[in-house]
Amino acid sequence: MSSENKDFGKNKAFLIDMTKCTGCRGCQVACKQWNQLDAEKTKFFTGEGYQNPPLMSEYTFTRIKFRDYEKNGQNEFAFYKEMCMHCNEPACASVCPVGAFVKTKEGPVTYDAKRCIGCRFCMVACPFGVPKYEWSKAFPLVRKCTGCYSRVKEGKKPACATTCVSAITYGPREEMIKEAEKRIAARPEKYLKKLYGAEEAGGTSVIYLTALPFDELGFKHVTKRPLPSYTWQALRLVPGIFLTVGSSLSLLSWFTHRKERIAKEEEMRKSGSAPKEG
Amino acid sequence: MTAAKITQVVVDEVKGYHNFVKFLIFLVGAAALASAIRFIFGLGVTTNLNDTFPWGLWISFDVVTAVPLAAGAFTLGAIVHCFHIKKLEPLVRPAIVTGFLGYSLVCVGLLLDLGQPQRGWHTMVYWNPHSPMFEVSMCIMAYTTVLFLEFLSPVCEKFGYHVPLRLLRTIEMPLVVLAASISTLHQSSLGTFFLIAVDKLHPLWYNPLLPLLFWVSAMCAGMSIITVEATMSHKYMGQPDEGELLETLAKILPCVLSFYLALRLFSLFALSEGALWDRPGLTALFVLEIVALVVPVLMLAQKKVRENGRQRATAAWLVIFGVVVNRFNVSMFGMEAPGTSYYPSFLESVVTIGIIAAHILFFVLIAKYFPIFEHHPETVDYSLPDHFHKTDNNHGHVGNEA
Ligand code: SF4
Ligand code: SF4
Repeated sequence: MSSENKDFGKNKAFLIDMTKCTGCRGCQVACKQWNQLDAEKTKFFTGEGYQNPPLMSEYTFTRIKFRDYEKNGQNEFAFYKEMCMHCNEPACASVCPVGAFVKTKEGPVTYDAKRCIGCRFCMVACPFGVPKYEWSKAFPLVRKCTGCYSRVKEGKKPACATTCVSAITYGPREEMIKEAEKRIAARPEKYLKKLYGAEEAGGTSVIYLTALPFDELGFKHVTKRPLPSYTWQALRLVPGIFLTVGSSLSLLSWFTHRKERIAKEEEMRKSGSAPKEG
Repeated sequence: MTAAKITQVVVDEVKGYHNFVKFLIFLVGAAALASAIRFIFGLGVTTNLNDTFPWGLWISFDVVTAVPLAAGAFTLGAIVHCFHIKKLEPLVRPAIVTGFLGYSLVCVGLLLDLGQPQRGWHTMVYWNPHSPMFEVSMCIMAYTTVLFLEFLSPVCEKFGYHVPLRLLRTIEMPLVVLAASISTLHQSSLGTFFLIAVDKLHPLWYNPLLPLLFWVSAMCAGMSIITVEATMSHKYMGQPDEGELLETLAKILPCVLSFYLALRLFSLFALSEGALWDRPGLTALFVLEIVALVVPVLMLAQKKVRENGRQRATAAWLVIFGVVVNRFNVSMFGMEAPGTSYYPSFLESVVTIGIIAAHILFFVLIAKYFPIFEHHPETVDYSLPDHFHKTDNNHGHVGNEA
């Protein structure tokens, strides 16, 4: 698990300013190219609006969600770039029985396809609905955004952040949060006064700035507590419970069987060595 | 004997089976075909699962529900051997057979559901103690082994292998204790699975005591299954009538069940967060689950119900139903986000029905060929192993020279 990583402020993080997004979907294209993901055959308006493809999938690790709304009597668009949040304490990594997910010290949460047994617990656990499954295959694996770990390791920015002309900033998490707060302070009329990702799921490496309330854009409502702690509060008791149940039952049976054992030994002593009589 | 002859003997034997048994064989065959389809065409085609609903019937029934239904073995083992309520001893064997079958089929179900079943062994190599799934899979492997060892007793008796039998007797108590501890862990950890689904599982079911609740209700389910099983095998298979013993069990059951209900309501009203009654469908399922467990408590509290074989079995059926509904509520209905729905596909259902059929089928066959009901405690020494040579007194001299 993420034991090697404790100082999340130094992790690389995305600051995504949705008010600066133009909906060009360059990031979607860059992601497909860098990760060599197949195209999907889609139709317009199969999803909730203009977005295409309609959902993230095994072929689509990120996508721009479109939302129309009315501002001063005019139709406007607001956007939401959906992707893996690279949580500080990822639920996916904590539940994976084989530890296929790792929170790297650089920040991205990576996935080791060679370990995965395909149980889909990560999909159940991820509060943002990120890991996707290769449903079409007989022996499917999980797919998700890896934060372009191979690029980040080499000191480069992720593909989407490199492509994006305006909305995505990439850098140490604490600096990204400071930058976001600066922008809100500078133009309070423009921004919602909250950051999505600062505290969600215990903090993530993707921080969003928006104009509209989060739920209207399709952001999920997520607890502020790191998710692994919810299971760990029960799981940490496991060795204790095992020993307690085991020893108390052993003790109990020793007592309950004692009378009988004594009686038997008594009998044996009386009749001499029993087995030879048979 | 040539192969042809053996086949002939087997065919003749099968021909002699009751039609119900033949029907079971048919269902199991159908499930085998459906699983073949899963491995050729993939999970997407075979099931109704998708990225928003990644766990379906195979997890909800074949794992999350089947495990508590197979809890009779450890519960009864502990009652009989540790609490030393010895007269229930004749029920232990059928319970162990049920448990062993149940767990083997859980493994089958899991392997079908995994994307990469050939890598199942990875859990043993790449440990992640933070994962409840890791813990459950280790426990299930360990426990299936324990049950297998316990199950070997009737097999050895059947073939008259005295040496292994004596060895098995020696490790019997440690096995019983081990079985109870391992079961406690994984029965509860199945509840821990859903603790991570904080904003997904509906508050009617989500609360931090879920693991404890799973454990207690598993014991209730286990005892009820034993009751039902003994009643049915007496009625339909001409096995000895265990009525008197079931009466004793029927006294223990309502106590554990009331404890469960008290805990359930406490955790619901004191520990749950969020709106409880916002979705009428879920409220109905919740009421169904609770009623199915309250009624048997009220029934079994009366002496005349406990003494009446039929009513007692009815109460036990209700408990089983209640626990099954509970497990489906937690793992399926409660997990569906508003506006989404999942229902199992035809092939998914065929597989699950086949797994249930396989369970009954193997139980009937084992009961037919192995001494699981003709086991009389008076003739066997079940005290803690004392001196090695003493255990075989009632079995003649065969094992003595070993
Ligand atoms: S968003 Fe989901 S997949 Fe990404 S790191 Fe967090 S828990 Fe894992
Ligand atoms: S599907 Fe793979 S990556 Fe996800 S939890 Fe299971 S083993 Fe881990």
